Amino acid sequence: MSPTTVLYVAQALHGLAYGMLLFLIASGLTLIFGMMGILNLAHASFAMLAAYFCYSVMKVTGNFWAALVFAPLIAGIVGVLTERFLLRPVHKHGHLAELLITVGIMMVILEVVKLFWGTESLVVKVPASLSGLVQVAGLTYPVYRLFVIGLSLLILGFMALILFKTRLGKIVRAAVSDAEMVSALGINTPLVFMLVFGIGIWLAGVAGAVAGPLLTVFPGMADQLGMDAFVVVVVGGFGSLLGAFIIALFLGELNAYGIQFIPRLAPILMFAFMALVLAFKPMGLFGERE
Amino acid sequence: MIILETKGLYHAFKGLEVLFDVNFQVEEGERHALIGPNGAGKTTLFNVITGHYHATGGQVFFKGKEVTRFTPHELTRMGMGRSFQITSTFGRMTAFQNIRQAVLSKNKIRFQMFRKLDKMQAITRETEEMLKRINLIEQRNIPAGMLSYGKNRALEISMALATDPDLVMLDEPTAGMSRDETRTAVELIRHLTEGKTVVIIEHDMDVIFSLADRITVLHYGRILATGTPSEIRDNPAVKEAYLGEMEY
Amino acid sequence: MRTKLTRWLFWGALTALLLLLPFLLNFYYLNMFIAFAVYSLYAVTLNILLGYMGVLSFGHAMFFGTGAYTVALVLRHIEGFPLIPTILAGGLAAGLLALILCPLLVRVSGTAFAMLTLAFSMVIFVAALKFREVTGGEDGINIAAVPPLKIPGLVSIDMTDKIHFYYFAIAVVALCLYLLWFYTKTPFGSHITAIRDNALRMDYLGFNLAQTRAINLLVSGTFAGIAGAVHALLMKLVSTVGVLDINTSFKPLMMAYIGGIGNFFGPLVGSAVLHILEDVVIRFTDRIGLINGAIFILVVLFAPQGLIGIFQNLKAKRSAKERS
Repeated sequence: MSPTTVLYVAQALHGLAYGMLLFLIASGLTLIFGMMGILNLAHASFAMLAAYFCYSVMKVTGNFWAALVFAPLIAGIVGVLTERFLLRPVHKHGHLAELLITVGIMMVILEVVKLFWGTESLVVKVPASLSGLVQVAGLTYPVYRLFVIGLSLLILGFMALILFKTRLGKIVRAAVSDAEMVSALGINTPLVFMLVFGIGIWLAGVAGAVAGPLLTVFPGMADQLGMDAFVVVVVGGFGSLLGAFIIALFLGELNAYGIQFIPRLAPILMFAFMALVLAFKPMGLFGERE
Repeated sequence: MIILETKGLYHAFKGLEVLFDVNFQVEEGERHALIGPNGAGKTTLFNVITGHYHATGGQVFFKGKEVTRFTPHELTRMGMGRSFQITSTFGRMTAFQNIRQAVLSKNKIRFQMFRKLDKMQAITRETEEMLKRINLIEQRNIPAGMLSYGKNRALEISMALATDPDLVMLDEPTAGMSRDETRTAVELIRHLTEGKTVVIIEHDMDVIFSLADRITVLHYGRILATGTPSEIRDNPAVKEAYLGEMEY
Repeated sequence: MRTKLTRWLFWGALTALLLLLPFLLNFYYLNMFIAFAVYSLYAVTLNILLGYMGVLSFGHAMFFGTGAYTVALVLRHIEGFPLIPTILAGGLAAGLLALILCPLLVRVSGTAFAMLTLAFSMVIFVAALKFREVTGGEDGINIAAVPPLKIPGLVSIDMTDKIHFYYFAIAVVALCLYLLWFYTKTPFGSHITAIRDNALRMDYLGFNLAQTRAINLLVSGTFAGIAGAVHALLMKLVSTVGVLDINTSFKPLMMAYIGGIGNFFGPLVGSAVLHILEDVVIRFTDRIGLINGAIFILVVLFAPQGLIGIFQNLKAKRSAKERS
């Protein structure tokens, strides 16, 4: 292949990996918004928290796989506790209060992270089994990125299975569509909320843990990932997993190519795009909820 | 003169068709009732006429002018007023402040930023007069959200009337009222709409027969019949559509 | 109830205190007071949108920052530009920004409005970072000196004197606060709160919602720009972090909420609380962000009506007890 083609394809794969990460984060965010009406501004902060947990677990055990399992789990538990003790009490005060408390949570997580791990960038090394390059269709490509793409697809396949083939999944989908109705049918909605919130955070946690070796672990992680995830959810549509998937991949590619070819305008383009979609289709391109 | 007219009005929501070929006419100065079973499309018709929805098809004419694409505020400025089936007042503002908002609009005071509102005595006086007419002067400082249902309903109706419209659209004004409250409300409506044209959606037959000059019956989004109260009362198609739904 | 006399006494005492402040405080605290005043104005402009019109602006820093950068750019590029026009330029630029964004912003409310303002402010933040030839990027622009206050033909007051600058800054802020307070008391002010209560009813009463919202947005943005302008003159340095970043959008929000968004003076109370807190906490730890965040969470959880709201509740309970 000619060098330019190689460049383009390599960028495409980079974009795909990042897009997958974005989708992991955005999927939880969009489900939470669709079901509970809460736009969780702290969502990416939990991803970042998981990245830090991953670093710590690795430092203690030296085992990446252990970190990959435990870090998102711990983040998920923190998420569940947050929902139970911080979000649920504010629910009665309205959407504004919910939004604001997630702002507070976001600030606190950022400060806690700086407090315990410092403000320097931390390096998480790619484990030996996943390092190195591999030949894919005449290209050399980092194994780790392929791993990221593969893992994301695996998790998403698993989630899709649960959502569409199990009774629990049905309940969750129904709750995303109409929580009041589900509650009227006698199902314990607070429990479902807590569960979905926890899983949403767990998904973000996986993304954060996996992103560590790619992006390095630093306090500003949440800002970048968070903004991108919001653009995905807003443009893709609140509550729409398909929308989130398409836009996440699109954004990943936009980022990859943008940064390569129009570094100054890339972030501006993204926000401008989101602003336009919001103005003309406030529910996002695929969304249906208010 | 025909003050309000729809021609071939058709409306659908995302595939759900609600209004079909509605040719509705209201004569100036008359009191015209719009009746029909639940779900017939009466409120939708109101929403389309008053500009809340853009009609999917057909036309609306007000005072001879085509207003199909007009917004609610444009129609209000042209002389239309509307009350809602579910009370839509300013819940956090007092009864006085509620009426005052309407009085301000009536006096075209919509962008005044150089005078203190409380010091505008003409506005205060006009608001107090309106409150007296609707018998709410004693509750003037009570937030609308805390008024009794009947009083809030009276406030709702007067909000439709306080801009002094030529055409008043009332959507089930006596909904949820007791016999006595209904009687008071009907008198209030009759009193306040002297010389105006009224279109009223109602289920209470006593109200309709005591107020209406003409009645239009809407059924599954189509006009079934239009006529005087006695003509409608004897209309067999109307009786059939309404079997069991009317309160005699 | 306060009588006219007590009201006059109160404002008289306050004015006297403000006039005497430079002689009571050292320069460090005097500057902190100016910062408190500037942020009070900034937070009030946010509350004009939030408490009064019911929309949450997540990107208010774009107006504040535009005002600040305009001042910095004007003073750097135009020799001898006078003081008051400089500040007005800041307000004007911010107002212009609001005007440009109006067509999009007036069509939405709620979460969409919050997200749109966030998006726009992020665009502006990133643009300011990237176009460093103009804005100096992260390093920002220095303001050599505050221009003197010139009343043509009469007097030229040196503004490098900290006390002179104090009086000027406080005068500007006080004037703006008065204008905004008056604005809320006009008929237009009641239209704004009515829109918050029931926009549909306002539409049906004959009010053009888009125009009314737009004007409120313009007022809010312009005065936020003026706050940013004074801030620039106070800090003598304008850079992206500090006037355009997301923290600068969140600060007035916290202040308004902590003080109470239901009252015009709520944001002032919140600004005072946060500034005093910052001054106290800084002595013990660097973690002011943590304290701020934690307090914010606590307020949202337990006192969503803000400090003024709590005070009013207590007053109501006490007078209810006295009556029974």
